[in-house]
Amino acid sequence: MPSNPLPVNSSRLGGCTLTGALSVTSHIRNTVTIIHGPKGCTHHNASLLHAICLDDDRMVMPALISTALAESEIIFGGEEALRTTIRHAAEQNIRALFVLSTCIVDTIGDDTCGVCAEEYGIPVIPIPTAGFLGGNFQDGMNNALIALADIPSPCPPNGGINLIGEMNLEYEVRENSAEITRLLSLLGLTVNLHFVHDITFSQLSLLGAARLNILRSPSLIPVGEYLRDRFGTPFIPTFPHGLSDTLAFLALVAVSCGIDGSAVIASEMARQDEMIARCSDLNRSPVILDRAHTGDDDLRAAGELAARLGLSPCSDGNGLRLPVGSAIGTDGTRRMLHRWRRAIHA
Amino acid sequence: MPECDNPLWPCAMTGAASCLAGFEGMTVVIHGSSGCYYYPTTLLHAPLEGTFILEKEIIFGSEDRLREVIGNLSGSGKRIAVITTCVPAILGEDIRSMLEEHDVLLVDSPGFSGDIETGYRKALAMLAPSVDPATPGVNIDGVCLFDPFYCGNVLETQRLCAMASVPVGTIFSKDRLERVHHAAAFTLGTNEDFSYGVGQSLGGMLGFDQIRSSFIRIDEVIEGSDCGPVFAELDAQEERVVQGCDKFLHRYDPPSTAIFAGSSYARFAAETLTRYLDAEICCIGTRNVAGDSPFPMIEATSLSKVQDLIHIHHPNLIVGSSFERSVSGNAAFVGVIPPLRGQVRLYPTPLAGINGTLSFVEQVLNASIDKRP
Repeated sequence: MPSNPLPVNSSRLGGCTLTGALSVTSHIRNTVTIIHGPKGCTHHNASLLHAICLDDDRMVMPALISTALAESEIIFGGEEALRTTIRHAAEQNIRALFVLSTCIVDTIGDDTCGVCAEEYGIPVIPIPTAGFLGGNFQDGMNNALIALADIPSPCPPNGGINLIGEMNLEYEVRENSAEITRLLSLLGLTVNLHFVHDITFSQLSLLGAARLNILRSPSLIPVGEYLRDRFGTPFIPTFPHGLSDTLAFLALVAVSCGIDGSAVIASEMARQDEMIARCSDLNRSPVILDRAHTGDDDLRAAGELAARLGLSPCSDGNGLRLPVGSAIGTDGTRRMLHRWRRAIHA
Repeated sequence: MPECDNPLWPCAMTGAASCLAGFEGMTVVIHGSSGCYYYPTTLLHAPLEGTFILEKEIIFGSEDRLREVIGNLSGSGKRIAVITTCVPAILGEDIRSMLEEHDVLLVDSPGFSGDIETGYRKALAMLAPSVDPATPGVNIDGVCLFDPFYCGNVLETQRLCAMASVPVGTIFSKDRLERVHHAAAFTLGTNEDFSYGVGQSLGGMLGFDQIRSSFIRIDEVIEGSDCGPVFAELDAQEERVVQGCDKFLHRYDPPSTAIFAGSSYARFAAETLTRYLDAEICCIGTRNVAGDSPFPMIEATSLSKVQDLIHIHHPNLIVGSSFERSVSGNAAFVGVIPPLRGQVRLYPTPLAGINGTLSFVEQVLNASIDKRP
């Protein structure tokens, strides 16, 4: 159990910028990510990404290279090790190299950006990470997305929608993506670019062509603002969580794109009503909504769902414990509903 | 080339945590950021504490934060161990004097100082294990929380010792903390990669030959032991292995095998497959520096090295971790080292002891038969 798990200390539990940045760069095919630091930092992240790959058999294990700093480089500096590693990596048949720094190289003062600025024959893109010295997981993710946003030039709009900052380490990332794609399709809209989820380096050139950016969560607002300033693309700050939020999301996208969404919203509402009606046997009260590993948005969505089903949350600890998960859109909420039924059975 | 692509082995900090977290009565604190904390926590499935330091503590010093965390943890009756991660290790803070009012074990084991074995041994050395002449029986050595077979190895060794009427002394490193200083005079090894060498070694527990010679030694040196039941079971179970492998060889060629593991488990796998299946060991890539072995071994600590070896030798059986499985193509696969992701593991399967060999051979035969055309 973490020491001091108090709200005042929650900033301490934000994870590593390196992992956040890697969750982005590892999803760009025909590129390599170099992690400038000891081997252990790369192993920790490679092991994590390996587990994600096994959960998602469509994902290919990303190429991560460690500069493998040992005690001597920590004492005398690691810039030469980085330079050598970049040169070797640049000889591969790849489109670009990303370079992520770790906390130890920031502490010893290596000029990572300076080394990356030298000529290697392919783009070498440093991403400010520096482990915990650069912030937390979300900062690393945002920094990576902003660094990538600088690569493509502005281009003519194509009417599509960008999904920004999908959580690639999330177990149900593809299902959430599919649900947003489904909701957009109801309005006659298509996804222009998953920025960044399982794309090629050349697909980054499409970034500026979208008419609207949809952020995965409000923590990506700095990225949304950066993209708006760079490409003039407006943004919606989050994927929808729960039932009413999904309807509001449809309305917001419709307004943003100048579409009459009333029929689509009515149809989706009917779909939700039908889903609730099918679960009328879920009448076990009182219930406890399990807050472990749950964001406020999902908890709110779960509360709304419980209310729609007539379930009464209790606070004395004696109710049936219902898991709260990622309730993105109507389909995400339906999956949570199935988990609730499972909780009643076992 | 100094660099390493997709490194396959954890760092010294994780090694220190994997040693100390195995001792009941020890509270382990990772002095570093949350990022450094999460990996050993998820890997070892052990309760760890952390200081979760932030940038301000690097600039202004981590003394207040360390005192806060250690102060909250003290008074529980448990010994506190603080393991330093990379950045705190080079800050030059005198952590020992900062915490002098607490009885803290300080383990300087930053990630850049080496691999998991380095950190494991350093942490165990800090505990200064010692033999207590009054403690009867044998210790069990080489038990590390990082090893997916550690629990099965302990249970299996305890079972065989019980069959031989030999009490078990201290288990390094999965025991009560106070037993570290009351080890027995003799020791059985379960995984040499994590052996420490407290007491006189009576041998290892990997493979029937090792087990047999270890229990012959037990018979010689431990008064009151009766190893007859162990020898009887060894003979019976070895015969089952022989029959199972012989039946396999009636229909199939021996597997051409690539082995990737720590050197201890790699040698066990190679000896077992050669002896009972007449397998060709086409390559052995070790995660650590190879120990003594009749088989040629080379270090393979990156995924590209593993891929190269598999590409060169085209094995039809691969023994390793799920990293190897991810690049194994159509070859049969058996997991012996972490990570073993992508499979449910609930039962404490051993690799050591009689049941360890039975389990390993069983997996090899089933995996090989499943992959036959």
